[in-house]
Amino acid sequence: MTAIELRGVTKEFGDVTAVRDLDLTVEDGEVYGFLGPNGAGKSTTIDMLLHLVRPTAGTVRVLGADVATDGVDIRRRTGVLPDGFSVYDRLSGRRHVEFAVESKDAADDPDALLARVGLADAADRDAGEYSKGMRQRLALAMALVDDPDLLILDEPSSGLDPAGAKEMREIVRAEAERGATVFFSSHILEQVDAVCDRVGILRDGELVAEDSVEGLREAVGGEETLEVAAAGADDDAVAAVRALPGVSGVTRDGDELVVNCASDAKTDVIAALEDAGVAVADFHTREASLEDLFLAYTEGDAASSDSEEADSGPTGVDPTDPGPTADDEPAEEEVDR
Amino acid sequence: MSLAAIARKDFRETVQSRGMIALVVLFSLLVAAFAYAVRPTGESEQFATELLLSAFVGRFLVTTLVPLVGVVVGYNAVSGERESGSLKLLLSLPHSRADVVLGKVAGRGAALALAVFAGFLLPALVLIAAPVVFNAGAFLGYTVFAAALGVVFVAISVGCSAASSTQRRALIGGVGVYVLFVLLWGPLTGQLVGAVGPVVDALPVSAAQINVFLRVSNPTTAVEALSNAFLAEQLFSGDTVNQQLSAAAMLVFWTLAPPLAGLLKFDADDL
Repeated sequence: MTAIELRGVTKEFGDVTAVRDLDLTVEDGEVYGFLGPNGAGKSTTIDMLLHLVRPTAGTVRVLGADVATDGVDIRRRTGVLPDGFSVYDRLSGRRHVEFAVESKDAADDPDALLARVGLADAADRDAGEYSKGMRQRLALAMALVDDPDLLILDEPSSGLDPAGAKEMREIVRAEAERGATVFFSSHILEQVDAVCDRVGILRDGELVAEDSVEGLREAVGGEETLEVAAAGADDDAVAAVRALPGVSGVTRDGDELVVNCASDAKTDVIAALEDAGVAVADFHTREASLEDLFLAYTEGDAASSDSEEADSGPTGVDPTDPGPTADDEPAEEEVDR
Repeated sequence: MSLAAIARKDFRETVQSRGMIALVVLFSLLVAAFAYAVRPTGESEQFATELLLSAFVGRFLVTTLVPLVGVVVGYNAVSGERESGSLKLLLSLPHSRADVVLGKVAGRGAALALAVFAGFLLPALVLIAAPVVFNAGAFLGYTVFAAALGVVFVAISVGCSAASSTQRRALIGGVGVYVLFVLLWGPLTGQLVGAVGPVVDALPVSAAQINVFLRVSNPTTAVEALSNAFLAEQLFSGDTVNQQLSAAAMLVFWTLAPPLAGLLKFDADDL
C-alpha cells in the first residue's frame, strides 16, 4: 500500500503558484525526507496532506484514502508535528497530551509519552511557559499518541539544539522500526541524511530530484567542486564557464566562483575564465558533498532560475528523470546521466 | 468523542482565562451592589426578589453585561486559534471542522453558564442577608435565563469567529453583534418600521405584530420577555404565550444558525 500519493497536485494562492503539478509517492514503511529551501512549497504540500489547504488541481491520497472525504479517519491513524503551530498557553503539557489521547480515543499514558520526548519534568507547567524547543517536543509527544501508521513531521528539528535534534532522529528511527511510515520535511540536508530511505528535493513548487541518499551520492560521484578566487568575473565569464561541457553548475559567492564539474573539466574552467579576461587569483577543489548537491538543486544559478522558470513546462517527475526544468538547470543534467 | 474533547478543552481554557474571571467578578459585584442599594429601607416595606431581578438587575445589568461576556468569550474562539497557529495542532488531530466550531460553542457556552451561576452567588448571599423576601426558586430560575442569554451570544460570536480569517474581523463582528442587539436594536428597528410604514399598511399584518416580531427576534429582548413571564409566574402561559413561544424559537435559531453559517465559511477556507 502507498502511504502518501499525490497526483498532479497544483496549488495556487492568487497568482502565486506554491506547488506545481506535483507527483509524489511514499510507500508504506518508508522514511521519506522532503527537502527544499524555505518557500519551496513544502509546508503547502504538507498542509494539503492534512487538508488544511485544498489543492487547485490534482488528488491527494493518504493511507489509501482521499483526504478531501476521509480526513478524520486518516488523521486517526496519523501523527502530525505541524510547522508554525502554537500551543494552548493556559493548558499544561500533560493536558495537551491528554487532549490528543482523548481526541484519538487512545489509551496511551500521557506521562510516558512526555517522558519519551524528554518533557517529564515540565508536564505540569503551562505550555505557554515552554521554550520553542519544548513546544516542538510537546507536539511530537502529541503526534506519537496511539502509535500512528504514518508520521508527518514538518521541520521537526526547528527550535531544537543539536542534542534535541539527535533525540528527534532517534525517535524517527524507532518509529520506522516499529513499522510506521515517516514523512518529514527539512531545509537542512544533514538532518535527513542519517535517517532517510529516500529523499525528494522540492524547488519552487516542483520536485527536482528524488532518489535514495546513496543514489544522490552516486549522482555526484564523478563531480568535484572547484572554488575559484576570481574577483573580476562578470556575467559573461560565468556564462562562458556554464557553457562548457562537463560543468553542471556555477554559483557566484562574492569574489568566489563555485563550479560543480567533472574532474577532467577543471582546466577548461580556468582557461575559459582567463579567455574571458578574468584574473584567477587562486583555485582549489573539494569533493562534492550532499550539501553541494542540495544547493545546486535548490539554488541553481541565479541567472537561469528567475525568468525561464515559469514557462518550463513540468512533465511529471520520476526518480530517474528528476528534472522537468532540465533545459535551464545544468545540475539536473548531471543527475540525468 | 471528538466534539466532546474539544468542548472540554475549550471549557477548561475559558474558565482559566483572566479576562473571564475579571468580568465575572465585576458582574457579581455590580449585581450585589444593586441588590444592596435598592434594598428596602423601611421595616414594613416588602421588596420581592422578582421585582429586583426584572426591574433593576435584569434591565440594567443582565441584558448589557451578560451579552458582553458572551461576545468576549466567543469572538476569538476560532479566529484566535487560527491566527496563533494552535488551530494547526487542533486539526492535526482527528477533528472535523464541524467538531471544532460546535465543540467550541458547547465548551465556551458551558464555561459562560458556569460563570453566570458563579456571578449570581454573591448577590444571592446579599439578598439572603438583606430584609428582602428572598425567593430562591425565582432567583435560580432567573439565573438560568441569564445563562441562556449568554450562551446565545457565545454561539453568535463563535459563528462570527469561524467566518473570520483574522482576529480583527472577528472582533469587529463581535462588537457589531453587541452594538446591534444590545444598544441599537430598538431605535434601529423603530426607524425601519417608520420608514417602511406605507408598505406595512399594505401587508396583512398589523404594526403591533411587527413590533412583537422584532422584539422576540432580538435574543436580548427575547430572554427579557421570557424571564419576565417566568418571574410573573406566567411562563408559557397567560396572554403572551404565543409571543413567548416565538421568543424561545428565536433563541434556538440564534444558537444554531450563526455557528452553522460560520462553519460553512470556515469549512471552505484554506487555513
